[in-house]
Amino acid sequence: MAETATGRIPGHPRPRPRPRFDSRALTPYWFILPAVAVMAAGLVYPVLDALYLSFFNWKIATPFSKAEHVGLANYVRMLADPDVRESLWVTIRFGFWTITIEMVLGVALALMLEKPIRGASVFRTIFILPLMVSPVVVGLIWRYLFDARVGWINYYLGLWFGIEPQVWLGVPDLAFFAIVLTDIWQWTPFIFIIVIAGLQALPSEVLEASRIDGANWWQQTFLVKLPMIRSILIIALLMRLIDVFRALEVMYIMTGGGPGRATELLSLHIYNRAFDAQLLGYASAIAVLLIVIVFGLSAAILAHGNPMNEKTDV
Amino acid sequence: MNKWTVAAGSMVLAAFGTLLAAGTAAASPYEKYAGSTIVVSWPALSHFRKAETLVQEFTDETGIEVEIDALQYLKLRDRQLLEMSKEEGEYDVVSWVVMWKGEYVSKGLLTPLSQMFTSGALVDPEYDVDDIADAYLQNGGVVGGKKGYMPGKSGGLYGVPFGAETSILAYRMDLLEQAGVAPPTTYDELRAALPVIKDKTGVGALTSRGKTGHQVTAGWLLHLAPLGGKIFDDAWNPVFNNAAGVEAAQIMREITQTGPTGIPSYGFSEASAAFLQGDAAMYIDTLKIAAMSRDPKLSKVDGKVGFALHPVGSRCGSETGGFAVGIPANSQNKEAAFLFIQYITSKAGDRRMVELGGDPVRMSTIAHFADQFAEYPVVLEQLPCADPDWRPLIPEWNELNIDVLGQALTQVITTDEPIQPIMDAAAEKARAIMEREGYYAWTRYRGQ
Amino acid sequence: MQAERRLESPAAVWSRYGAIIVLAGICLLPIWVMVGTSFKNEVLIFDGRPVWFFFVPTLDNYEYILTRGKFDRYLVNSIIVGTASTFFTLFFGGLCAYALARTEFRARRFVANATLLVRMVPPAVLAVPAFAMVTMFSLKNDLAVLTFFYTALNLPFAIWLLFGFYKQIPMEIEEAAIVDGATAWQVFYRVLLPLMKSGYAVAGIFAFRIAWNEFILALLLTGRSTRTLPVGAAGFITDTGVEWGRIMAMGTLIAIPPLVFTFFAARQIISGMTAGAVKG
Repeated sequence: MAETATGRIPGHPRPRPRPRFDSRALTPYWFILPAVAVMAAGLVYPVLDALYLSFFNWKIATPFSKAEHVGLANYVRMLADPDVRESLWVTIRFGFWTITIEMVLGVALALMLEKPIRGASVFRTIFILPLMVSPVVVGLIWRYLFDARVGWINYYLGLWFGIEPQVWLGVPDLAFFAIVLTDIWQWTPFIFIIVIAGLQALPSEVLEASRIDGANWWQQTFLVKLPMIRSILIIALLMRLIDVFRALEVMYIMTGGGPGRATELLSLHIYNRAFDAQLLGYASAIAVLLIVIVFGLSAAILAHGNPMNEKTDV
Repeated sequence: MNKWTVAAGSMVLAAFGTLLAAGTAAASPYEKYAGSTIVVSWPALSHFRKAETLVQEFTDETGIEVEIDALQYLKLRDRQLLEMSKEEGEYDVVSWVVMWKGEYVSKGLLTPLSQMFTSGALVDPEYDVDDIADAYLQNGGVVGGKKGYMPGKSGGLYGVPFGAETSILAYRMDLLEQAGVAPPTTYDELRAALPVIKDKTGVGALTSRGKTGHQVTAGWLLHLAPLGGKIFDDAWNPVFNNAAGVEAAQIMREITQTGPTGIPSYGFSEASAAFLQGDAAMYIDTLKIAAMSRDPKLSKVDGKVGFALHPVGSRCGSETGGFAVGIPANSQNKEAAFLFIQYITSKAGDRRMVELGGDPVRMSTIAHFADQFAEYPVVLEQLPCADPDWRPLIPEWNELNIDVLGQALTQVITTDEPIQPIMDAAAEKARAIMEREGYYAWTRYRGQ
Repeated sequence: MQAERRLESPAAVWSRYGAIIVLAGICLLPIWVMVGTSFKNEVLIFDGRPVWFFFVPTLDNYEYILTRGKFDRYLVNSIIVGTASTFFTLFFGGLCAYALARTEFRARRFVANATLLVRMVPPAVLAVPAFAMVTMFSLKNDLAVLTFFYTALNLPFAIWLLFGFYKQIPMEIEEAAIVDGATAWQVFYRVLLPLMKSGYAVAGIFAFRIAWNEFILALLLTGRSTRTLPVGAAGFITDTGVEWGRIMAMGTLIAIPPLVFTFFAARQIISGMTAGAVKG
């Protein structure tokens, strides 16, 4: 189950008792202190600060002491704000299309290519390249490919299909398509890599047994293999879903969120609201909404089991 | 001579030199600041790129080092605000788009230039502020007059225009001839010409900015003022959804349909490039296009471009925009910064800018080069029409510009939906913002 | 498995290889476009007709970036922030993962769950509070602030990853050391650390990659002299047009370290990715 997802090699069960640092009960706390302190100050404090700021109307470049306490006004405004709703809707649509296509493609490719092949390590290296390149660079490359004047995509569409040059990043639906395609290029390999690792870790006896029982390829795939890596698939899906709510850099470079708000995912919406429209307090309220969504999804992962909760390799 | 005598001799000489200098006072007004470094934040626009040569000359002449931080112009504001809100910022000179001036001053981020102009040691007696085109000076540098951003006695000077502009019409003489169209002088002629040019030449008729946010709003505003429209009436009620505003939006839609491919993704650079690369027959926007069309690195159309006045609707009204330079309140080198600003906007500096391929801000410069450049006579005629109230430069403008109008107008140019409801909805949003910021308090108070 | 493969027809094998090569091509193509474009002059780029391989390469774009831009400054900043945040991530994260993997204490479960939860904090949520912290406390050293935030962003994943590696080390080794009278610190430093090299390598690659690639916080928090490479690259989208050749040259240079890591440590990177089923 979760073991494979966390890559733990099933350990050798060991009997207790084992030594505890009982005479030095505080030692573990000293060990975790620096990390916990940095995470508290760098992640937890900002989240709480966002919550605090969301009750103020604070403008950039004015002292915070001049900020006006507005109570829940930012939240009232957010709930009625069609722009927030639109951005949320864009995020959901983006998540739906990218994750569906990436999961289907990634799983299909993994099933197709799970058998050992020559040069597997070379191909695997190539497949993770899109994941390693900086999002800013990815955005720049695809902005160039989709460029209306000099982009390669328009050129080949015209050459092969006689399609008129399209303004990919200037028409809402096309721009949305462009960022979806870019995301698929970048993240399908991620699903692929994870699923293939899961498939290759499956115990061969089980597969062997099912084949002896006369299961054909379809039955073996959908009734044996995929159910066995279900846990991996769910975690990968949740991870991608959370990433959708965290994504902003590629769109920032490719479209800046435009045209209109057609490609303005929630994270980018917060950024634009905070630093373009300079509504720091209001942007914080939307950030709180984002945090609630993301923590909800994370809790779903946690509910699936946190390997770090198991202290020992029992 | 051994090395000791050399050392002693040079010390005596140095001491003598110091005495001499003290005795005769500063040989140059720059001397006191030589060796110091000022940091300038300005946009990565053509005019400012050309100015780099002038900056080098300034350093050579004065000994004041200058470091330029050039950014995409719409990214400037974030950066400048962050630096200016620190106790000690990095920047000694900032260049702002005129629409930010109200915000900067209301937040107390700029040094009033009166602090500098009161220092006889700093001010060059030959500087002559009155020679700077009044529309530019008022629009870019004066804050606190009528409505807060217009000329008026309550205003104060915070910046000097540098890279300031108004709008003119630039057109391809060859393409208009091919289409059998005369350069339009009115908006009726313009609208009639758009489809004709597209049909007859196959080239986009008029290029325009159209990218979501500031850019599409800027494109629309260019037509709003000549058609007699305004953003607010005198009581700050949004009125841009009236007939003139809707007509300007309608024109934006027609321009997008008959223009070069991709207007909804065009920022300033893309819109200009479309004209300069030969993909559009006409250009109505900043006069900067003229200098850019002569730059072989940017332009393929040099020699084919004619200039005319911004077409007239119910009145003549061209934009007033571009940039001005000033000194942040938290600058540590205010005097050197002032000397720099004075240098680049002086009569000599202004002329030098034109020689380098930039744009002038002084009447004397424009007059001086009137024979050499085809657009200068047009600019001289256009300047009296330049409308300082073509957009409201209030601190809230940024939100209206990007979040409200910038979104609504994208809807206008990328869909076929009826325009009036889109503009009405935007006006409602604008009213909510003004209400939130307390603009209607006085009207309500008087009404009671 | 062996038996299965023998049964496969040559056609099936070839089609499988065909598919995999096409896929590799799709992964590589955009990266090649970037590298290729970085060696083209403006005329060729703005011509609009794609040229794949056969053009006269020019180094103009690189020359401009390396001499006229502030590439050296950005590079130094990126290296400082990358190495410093990687160091702190590994140091603090290793200690924490060790304690979580090996000892029982009261707050253990809470720390474990909280760590997993904060791993997901979106950078956009950090943006406004980080901006507020910098202006309100008048923080001056941008690079230190950036290093701090990157360390915080990297720690949860590093702890999770290292935790898994610690668990793979048999307890006997430590037990033996403790019997010999080693202190907790000695056990950690002398015994475990050498065994953890590959674990730290994986965690280090991921931590460095985040710090090297991160954009939005760097954009907000750095000034003229403290910008990192991605922020510098975005600066080539100028008002006189996007300078594609130069931008692609900059992109190529930025992509080099991650690409080098990938080629030399693909196996470790994949183990890291699958370990957390995570983007990192």
